[in-house]
Amino acid sequence: MDGDVIGVPAPALQNQQLLTGRARYTNDLRIPGMLIGKLLYSAHPCARILEIDVESACALPGVVAVLTHADIPGENSYLYHETDQPLLAVDRVNYLGDAIAAVAAVDEASAQAALDAIVVEYEPLEGIFDPVEAMQPDALAALPGYDNVIPSALFEIGDVEAGFEEADVIIENTYHTQWIEHAFLEPEGALAYIDLDGTVVVYASNQAPHRDRMQIARSLNIPEHSVRVVTPFVGGGFGAKDEAHVQIHVALLAQATGKPVRMIRSREESVLTHVKRLPVIVKHRLGASSDGKITAIEIETIGDTGPYENAGRYIMGFGASVATGPYYVPNARIESFCVRTNNPIGGAMRGFGGPQVALAYEGQMDSLAKELGLDPLEVRMRNAIETDQPTPTGGTIREVASIKVGMEEAAKIADWQGRHQVERQPAPNLCRGWGFSSTWFVIGMGRGQDNAGVIVEMATDGTVVLRTSAVDMGQGVFTALATMAAETLGVDLDFVRVIGPDTDKTLDAGAAAASRQTFVSGNAVLRASAVIRDSLLETAAEETGLPIEVLSLKGGRLFAEGELLNNTVPRLAAKAAFANRPMHADGFYVMEFPEELSTKSDYIGVGPSAFGTQIAQVLVDIETGEVTVEKIVAVQNVGRIINYGGAYGQLLGACTMGTGYSLMEELVIEKGRTLSDSLDSFLIPTSMDAPQTVTKLLEIPEPLGPHGAVGIGEPSLMSTAPAIVNAVSDAIGMRLTQIPLTSERVLAAIEGVEQ
Amino acid sequence: MMSEVEVVFIVNGVQKIVKTAPHRTLLKVLREDLDLTGTKDGCSQGDCGACVVIMDGKAVNSCLVLAPQADGKEVLTIEGLAREGELGTLQQAFAEKWGLQCGFCTPGMLMSSYALLQSNPEPTVEEIQRAIAGNLCRCTGYAPIIDSVQHAASMPQEMSDGR
Repeated sequence: MDGDVIGVPAPALQNQQLLTGRARYTNDLRIPGMLIGKLLYSAHPCARILEIDVESACALPGVVAVLTHADIPGENSYLYHETDQPLLAVDRVNYLGDAIAAVAAVDEASAQAALDAIVVEYEPLEGIFDPVEAMQPDALAALPGYDNVIPSALFEIGDVEAGFEEADVIIENTYHTQWIEHAFLEPEGALAYIDLDGTVVVYASNQAPHRDRMQIARSLNIPEHSVRVVTPFVGGGFGAKDEAHVQIHVALLAQATGKPVRMIRSREESVLTHVKRLPVIVKHRLGASSDGKITAIEIETIGDTGPYENAGRYIMGFGASVATGPYYVPNARIESFCVRTNNPIGGAMRGFGGPQVALAYEGQMDSLAKELGLDPLEVRMRNAIETDQPTPTGGTIREVASIKVGMEEAAKIADWQGRHQVERQPAPNLCRGWGFSSTWFVIGMGRGQDNAGVIVEMATDGTVVLRTSAVDMGQGVFTALATMAAETLGVDLDFVRVIGPDTDKTLDAGAAAASRQTFVSGNAVLRASAVIRDSLLETAAEETGLPIEVLSLKGGRLFAEGELLNNTVPRLAAKAAFANRPMHADGFYVMEFPEELSTKSDYIGVGPSAFGTQIAQVLVDIETGEVTVEKIVAVQNVGRIINYGGAYGQLLGACTMGTGYSLMEELVIEKGRTLSDSLDSFLIPTSMDAPQTVTKLLEIPEPLGPHGAVGIGEPSLMSTAPAIVNAVSDAIGMRLTQIPLTSERVLAAIEGVEQ
Repeated sequence: MMSEVEVVFIVNGVQKIVKTAPHRTLLKVLREDLDLTGTKDGCSQGDCGACVVIMDGKAVNSCLVLAPQADGKEVLTIEGLAREGELGTLQQAFAEKWGLQCGFCTPGMLMSSYALLQSNPEPTVEEIQRAIAGNLCRCTGYAPIIDSVQHAASMPQEMSDGR
């Protein structure tokens, strides 16, 4: 029965609304009498606050409320993992995005006037902006009361010293990555109002509605059941909307004023305030025998999390857990540090610490190949991890076949061996190069809290309502979940309607993060749908007198051993309901770990794995340093294609995003000040920059995945930057270790300028 | 208080009369006064293209157009692309080729592409790339959007509004 709806190309469910302008995002919502909220952000990256005077702001016409820290009835902090970040600063600001006051006014102009009228007296402080400096014992504290250094991971396996002694070659490099802005197209926003029964209702552009609910309740000092969080259409998230942004503030303003309040960040505010993909320094030492087999690896990573921990510790920990890539490393030591500074907050962004380490381990593999005179593909094939070989965290990987298959498939599509016949220097100033990259990503929250609930119900006409808190921010999870329900229930996709996140109507599914929702919510959908399918089949068995085992549903019809019977799902649905059989069910799924884990095993970085390979072909102008990506071949294992367009869309989109990451994107921060605070200074790829890309999805199943599926959102991004950097390194004949590869940086490398 | 001006223009085929402060943008008037929220505000400064509408046949960033500049003009927004609830050819093509993900850039993409197809019914890939170069998309990687526009160009023409 598998595959009637699953994997069959079909347009996304929300298309009708999205393509006609009827889709309402947070900023499109309006309630009569609604106030406009705004936040006053810090004027300094690090300063003591001597005084906050809101008196004249409060007196302005049209201003309804001005809140400072003293007005928060509950906890004055975000709660992602730590409570170190205040909602409204008390006596100190620790980065440029700290909010100091929240205002609500009758219109935008009055709200802005209120902000302008608030007088904050600062005593600017020195601050600390270099993570390596911040690690020194006598360094200034970025956040008083907290150590600058947050040890994030220490993974050890085998005997590293012995492994290096065994090695015939040692490759040692230090890699540097940059601050990255998510640049989702819809800036963050939220709207809150008090419902007739006193419930605080918050519409927010978010990724984790139930975590938002918890945070709002604890800061408003009300029970969680008195908060309702609804997620309307979301215009991209990529990790930054996983953490709360303005939804707690807007709820505080609604509580204080009793009126609806909407707050939308401007693009500049968005860039200045929300978490960023953090820059990481990866010191990587690799030992291998002369046949190219890795004998030992030693890695140290240092990441800049800004003043607040946010997800920093987990990002660095996750990065460390996958820092050996899809390779077996018998002896490894990986240590990871997350460091506080007064820079922007380092947080979740597509890949969660994975892309930074992938740049390093794939650079190392290419350097190793070059050192030994081996083909980059060959050296990777020789080291590909097997299912019985432990990773540095002590876990093993269920599905590893896709590593080698993916590499071979990519090599075939790209005609990898044929590259030697292609001209390397098509013009005196142009050098061509090829880069290979094979990467590993782990789906889900490791052994932490990782579960999801859904509700599926079938009406008496056979149509289906699926309620999920999994946020669809463009990645297509609604369509994926609906597809799985339709497959199980034997109906067409258009029989299923999805009701998206609304904490009053949908069960907690955790965050739309870690590429987990297809897996976790998908499994929950299968469980819920199976209950209803059984009701339909039991009813059918009763009617036909046939044993239930021979019956199945497909395309809205009943079959007995493949033979069409004169009965339909709508008819069976009505009968089953009349016969008091359950026609709705909760589905609940918890990430499973059936395999034995060693006692050393860490909770992070274990789980279903996704592997991908990408090959880049580039042309480097050695006079200008300009890099042109001629072609990318991207092969990614998804286990099983559920939502065809969504899956391919993720991979294609990732190749362009990864191209930006490797070549052009950099959020420039100088002493805590973000210099590139708009989309004309922080440049992301346009249609002119998108590389020509050939994609292929593999379907090598993950045993526990729904229909064998694993996630693709983040895994798909992992390989692009390393492939491009390896290609440029190949073109100019030297190892490049720092992104982005701007023309200046490439030219400097060619000219041998020390950086 | 700044005095208001009257702007008379055609929006999606219907005459609209709006009284507005002269410094307000066409984007704000469309979204706030006419409740045409399909046109998106992604940056308010002409960098992202989410607010593109067609004014007298040309794709423009409506956040860079002051409302009085629209006086006497004909404006087409995303809400005007579908006829009687049916997706137009271009919209249909975006659906079939997955030319959208989160959808936030989509109205602007559609309007830029629509303007292109109106003036150039059989554009090359490079012409499509140029036409949407001012429309940022962070999800799709652009290739599916370019495919969508090409696909639309290959589809049979509709009668009245071309695409």
